[in-house]
Amino acid sequence: MQWRTIFAKEMSEDWRNFKWVWVPLVFILIAIMDPITTYFLPKILDSVGGMPDGAVFEMPEVSPVDAIMMSLTELSMFGVLVTVVISMGVISGERKSGVAELVLVKPVGYFTYISSKWAGKLLLVLTSYIIGMLVSWYYVNILFGEITFSDFMSLLFFYGLWLVLVITITIFYNTLFKVPGVVGAVSIGTIIVMSILNQIFSHKLTWFPNSLSSHIGEMLTTGEISGDLWGTSVVIIILVIVLLVSSLFTFRGKEMAG
Amino acid sequence: MAIIKVDQLKKAFDKQDVVKGLSFELTPGKCVALLGPNGAGKTTTLRMLSGLLKQTSGSVTFEGMKENGDIRAYIGYLPQYPVFHNWMTGKEFLVYVGQLAKLTKAEATSRADELLERVGISDAGNRRIGKYSGGMKQRLGIAQAMIHKPMLIMLDEPVSSLDPIGRREVLTLMEELKEQTTILFSTHILSDAEEVSDDLLLMSQGEIVESGSIQELREKHQTSKIHLAFRGEVDTYYEALKHLNSISESAMEKGEIQLLVDNIDQARVDILSLAAKENWPLTKFEISRVSLEELFMKVVKS
Amino acid sequence: MEELKELDLAVIAPFIIIQLVLMIVGLIAWFKTDETNGPKWMWLLIIVFGSMLGPILFFIVGRRQN
Repeated sequence: MQWRTIFAKEMSEDWRNFKWVWVPLVFILIAIMDPITTYFLPKILDSVGGMPDGAVFEMPEVSPVDAIMMSLTELSMFGVLVTVVISMGVISGERKSGVAELVLVKPVGYFTYISSKWAGKLLLVLTSYIIGMLVSWYYVNILFGEITFSDFMSLLFFYGLWLVLVITITIFYNTLFKVPGVVGAVSIGTIIVMSILNQIFSHKLTWFPNSLSSHIGEMLTTGEISGDLWGTSVVIIILVIVLLVSSLFTFRGKEMAG
Repeated sequence: MAIIKVDQLKKAFDKQDVVKGLSFELTPGKCVALLGPNGAGKTTTLRMLSGLLKQTSGSVTFEGMKENGDIRAYIGYLPQYPVFHNWMTGKEFLVYVGQLAKLTKAEATSRADELLERVGISDAGNRRIGKYSGGMKQRLGIAQAMIHKPMLIMLDEPVSSLDPIGRREVLTLMEELKEQTTILFSTHILSDAEEVSDDLLLMSQGEIVESGSIQELREKHQTSKIHLAFRGEVDTYYEALKHLNSISESAMEKGEIQLLVDNIDQARVDILSLAAKENWPLTKFEISRVSLEELFMKVVKS
Repeated sequence: MEELKELDLAVIAPFIIIQLVLMIVGLIAWFKTDETNGPKWMWLLIIVFGSMLGPILFFIVGRRQN
């Protein structure tokens, strides 16, 4: 009941500050930008007079899988950035401004407060992500060739887990810090450090969360969901649960006042 | 019968004791002022009572509260600087916090209408809170504290940030509310406390230094003040008067002598006989009651 | 060649639509916002002339929220 109340408040807040409009649009842009520019690059080069005489420049053949993976690469950069930016103030902002005092002085469970806000951002980001990827899928199909529906659905599901983790990391830091900017910076910092670790140890830590995209790429090429992909997914889900529970404990330890 | 019992409540921040073991009880239906200078620990105390801060030690119990019950179900709290969601309307906010206090949506809605009416901002109920004036926000703040009919409402400096008009409005509102619920409010301004409260808890440096009804306190600290003026320099008279037994405090100000006395009859005799004996050129002899403001200063300092 | 042109239009159209919607919603939000970070008129210019990035920037850092 209280959970639904806070969740509904999050929904109407994000609707009234237009997040429900611009976030999906931005996710569409992020998802389609790269596949489409890649498709047009040869034409653009042609229109500016083509290659100088004698220069031979073979455009690499871009497969449908390469094209849709471009969307994921962009989402891993800008999609993650937007996700962090829109989630960094969900709790910290309310604590900083002082509204949290009025909310938490009512008999609301802390986990209700955290998880309803988490779910609110999850719905917004995942909806935007799905819309963005649907549009990208559509373009990849007409410009580069077919990606089957079932492959696309698997991709959608598995990559979605990564965004869930990003939101959960941001929510966790929300319970730790009181300034949205700090939450944002630390969240992005954490994700960058994770990706560096992933690059250094990728051959050893095949289930590291950041290796998700490369496992998804393999899945699209081979048509098989590998054990590594499942493994990585399980690691991500466990991390999400651990972070959510930790959020509760760090938040409980915080004094709401002062 | 007490509605709330506070026992040895302590709070330390970084090993510094801000609240040093408060014990008091509140009687239902009373309006009690927690009076003290800035930094006395009033806000910290209220925040502990409202469950926003955890006490270092001590206990707070509500009448009829279940073992390990949620304290927050029984109280309403208005912070000193309440902040709302400015994008919401006043009514939406009340319905929101009402539901958070476990009312159904229908209950919260009808309660919100009722309270908007009662605090006198029903016209603004459908306007965005961002457009409210300070006084309107304070009244909305009181409404949100009352939304779930708590046994006790606590208001932290409810009028100190308001202009004279807003202040008057909120004080009048509190006057009305105390008919229906128990109120505990903090203030550093004695006249506000005097105006609406039945009882005072005087707080200074983390401790309660005095408590009781205003009448009791006045009687307990019964003192009078005598103003004396003379033709010419007053220094010699001042020296002589200072040592009289019946005078507890003395001061010289603008060529006049001010004396604080506990027993006014004795002091009058002493002073006048001394003046007659020495043939002092007395031009003024005036007796006044010590104002509560001065009493407040005295109690808080000691 | 003709066929390609039509395909191009089908590809470009969504960008134009998204840009338009972002700009319109950005303008509505600009109009409704009481406080901005920095001068309000500056944000108007950014929303109108900042292509797609303008409104997005405004949504992310332009408004002072509460």
